[in-house]
Amino acid sequence: MTSTAQDLHPAPVLEPGRTILELRGLEKKYPGTHALKPVTLAFKSGEIHAIVGENGAGKSTLIKLLTGVMPRTSGEVIWEGKPAPLATPHEAMALGINAVHQEVVLCRHLTVAANMFLGEENSRFGILQQRAMVKEAQKIIDDLGFDLPAHVVLGDLTIGQQQLIAAARATVRGTKFLIFDEPTAYLTRKEADQLFTLIRRLKGEGVTIIYISHRMEEVFELADRVSVLRDGTLVGTRNIAETNDAELVKLMINRSIEQVYHKEHFTPGAAIVEARNLSGKGFENVSMTVRAGEIVGLYGLIGAGRSEFVTTLYGRHKKSAGQILWEGKPVQVNSEHDAIKLGMALAPESRRDQGLCLNLPVGLNLNLPIYKRISNNLLISGAQEKTQADRQIADLRIKTPTRHALASSLSGGNQQKIVIGKWLAHGAKLFIFDEPTVGVDVGTKAEIYRLFGALLSKGAGIILISSYLPEVYELADTLHVFRRGKLVATHGFRTADHEEILTQALAEKQEKLGGKT
Amino acid sequence: MSTEAIPAEKPKRNYNALFGLTLLALLVLLWVILSLSTSSFASANNISNLLRQGSMIAILAVGQTFVIITGGIDLSVGAVVGFATVIAAMLINAGVPVFLAILLTLLVGVAIGLFHGFGIVKMGLPPFIITLATLTSLRGIGLLMTNGNSISINNDAFQEFSRNSFLGVPNLFWMVILVGIPAYIFLHHSRWGRYLFSVGSNAEASRLSGVNVQRTIYMAYTLSGLCAAFVGVLLASRIGIGNPTQAEGWELQAIASSVIGGTSLFGAVGSVHGPLLGAFILATINNGANLLNVNAFWQRIITGVLIIVIVYFDGLRRRGGK
Repeated sequence: MTSTAQDLHPAPVLEPGRTILELRGLEKKYPGTHALKPVTLAFKSGEIHAIVGENGAGKSTLIKLLTGVMPRTSGEVIWEGKPAPLATPHEAMALGINAVHQEVVLCRHLTVAANMFLGEENSRFGILQQRAMVKEAQKIIDDLGFDLPAHVVLGDLTIGQQQLIAAARATVRGTKFLIFDEPTAYLTRKEADQLFTLIRRLKGEGVTIIYISHRMEEVFELADRVSVLRDGTLVGTRNIAETNDAELVKLMINRSIEQVYHKEHFTPGAAIVEARNLSGKGFENVSMTVRAGEIVGLYGLIGAGRSEFVTTLYGRHKKSAGQILWEGKPVQVNSEHDAIKLGMALAPESRRDQGLCLNLPVGLNLNLPIYKRISNNLLISGAQEKTQADRQIADLRIKTPTRHALASSLSGGNQQKIVIGKWLAHGAKLFIFDEPTVGVDVGTKAEIYRLFGALLSKGAGIILISSYLPEVYELADTLHVFRRGKLVATHGFRTADHEEILTQALAEKQEKLGGKT
Repeated sequence: MSTEAIPAEKPKRNYNALFGLTLLALLVLLWVILSLSTSSFASANNISNLLRQGSMIAILAVGQTFVIITGGIDLSVGAVVGFATVIAAMLINAGVPVFLAILLTLLVGVAIGLFHGFGIVKMGLPPFIITLATLTSLRGIGLLMTNGNSISINNDAFQEFSRNSFLGVPNLFWMVILVGIPAYIFLHHSRWGRYLFSVGSNAEASRLSGVNVQRTIYMAYTLSGLCAAFVGVLLASRIGIGNPTQAEGWELQAIASSVIGGTSLFGAVGSVHGPLLGAFILATINNGANLLNVNAFWQRIITGVLIIVIVYFDGLRRRGGK
């Protein structure tokens, strides 16, 4: 193993890698949809090739074809000079093609080591060599520079750490071609750095990396080349040194970047909610006010106490001290029910776990908070149920064939629109958005931000939680920085620069890490 | 990937209805085959008998379906039926007016359901465990109360009810309609029904959307207990005795009917008409097998195979329909 990490900034000229995988007119049609129009593209060994595009642009389809999860409609894939049918996942893996998915697909109840060797266990006479496997797994993890124990149960790690294990797992299986699908969506900065180190090392070993991300700065930090998909068409491939943010965004959405962060300023009105010295599990002594017409941004690392603060405000968890005032009057919020009755709405962090009933229709999801209103004592008004759902679908431009389609059949961005949309008819005054744009493409992001403006203009207030600094920076009228359960700094709209905010969010951690970048 | 708003053509919603029709077709097919192959199947007597046989499981299956839709299971219903026959018999023999005796028996069912809700919501027990515990202990309590004996009910009017017919249809089958129609409206046209589905699909998302998840779970188990107690009353009327060991294994027949009727054991998928059809399909198979002189042991095997086949094809279509 050559363990020297690659140069931080890869040379603009590609190293003379040979072509390992070639797509010739690769195409996928579903009934009614042309998911991927014929794509011709060559990947070289030892390159990091980013693929960007909006949700639904065809990235997932491409991955599924390459990993043998789905059969292609037409076209050829040439692997090391020979046509590869890639009909089954097993075949793809045998060739050395692996993928690390955004959602960790490992066994959460097994240990890290057991997961590392899942399907390739070390056993002697049918008896698992557990200790040997833990030892070996630990060696691999240490080697990669991850500070993680191999003997613990995977589910006890954070999502980010699990992601690192998933990546480590893929590297020990003779991988020559490794696809990362939005790997950093749930990672902290430190974890992301560890992952990038791993990716660069793999590159150094000649592995081809496909890197899919919505985060432009990561693409520029890592990739050698970048390909852009739009509506199933490959609209361009660029050397990273010869392109920039603006060009890529334009290729992706046919729209300029200024139009994404669409910020309207309103004169803040009366206070809607005020937290006075609120403490609870995971945060202490937090005070803040949200006024009508204002976006209050909460920035900090995952686990800094932002989500805990808002879920306590929302009555999901008990507060241990402090007071909540709603429109100037002290209130008790003992349950979500109380919060909703006051006029709060929460679009939670995880669509899958907290936001949506995935195997139920879009319409039911949209109407869930308002069934009380659209039914009399006994029956639901079918007409109202239809009108309300159809209106949100139209207003938010949710791409769904009908309101009867299951939420699971929609793309991530459209699912997020449902999570937000279900509160619009409810008529809340305070909207809490926890990471509303994770895994959402630029176009949908712009639509969500525009929606913020519409809410504010109606006199609502917004709490916006984000781990993505540009987002809170460009949108928040007041920006609170959280660190380790405390509110450590407060800024106005663009009154501090990125670096200052980052330092405030990270400070202690950096000291602890002893000056790691 | 979803495409731009296509006019609503995909019959996603009619899925339930379609599946119902397939089941109905299967039921009719069975009836036609049995009418042609046996002389006695199509007789009024046998049809009445068949409807009586299927009715009680059908009502149990409706209550069971509410629970399964929330992602739970109610293993206690058979035991509740047996226990309810004891309560009803004791009350009636003690001279309590029949109407009041029935009401009190139903309240016992409600209490058992509430207890299940309590165990799941407040004590955090898995539905399988708490209802399994009631299954065994209710039979035990019933045996203690009766000293292991059967109680004969001394009330002819009460027993007449289950033998009589109204408009040529057995009273027991009318009871299915009495339960089925409100249950249908409740599940498919009231917000409580929607909440059953949403809790079964994602309890946390429902909670954050303002759905009272705990109350919804209490409601599901209470309705299941109520249905079971009601069936207990009907069984007491039909057989004329109170005995806690009756209705052995009915919980499994109710679950089987529900599943044959398209209910997903993972929750969030189900209907009222499906389980009703499922119950009568099972009853028809048993009835037909008797008429055809099929060994009773074979009937059980046939039922098992049928469950596998129907649920397999249902799953195939569900996946294919995506």
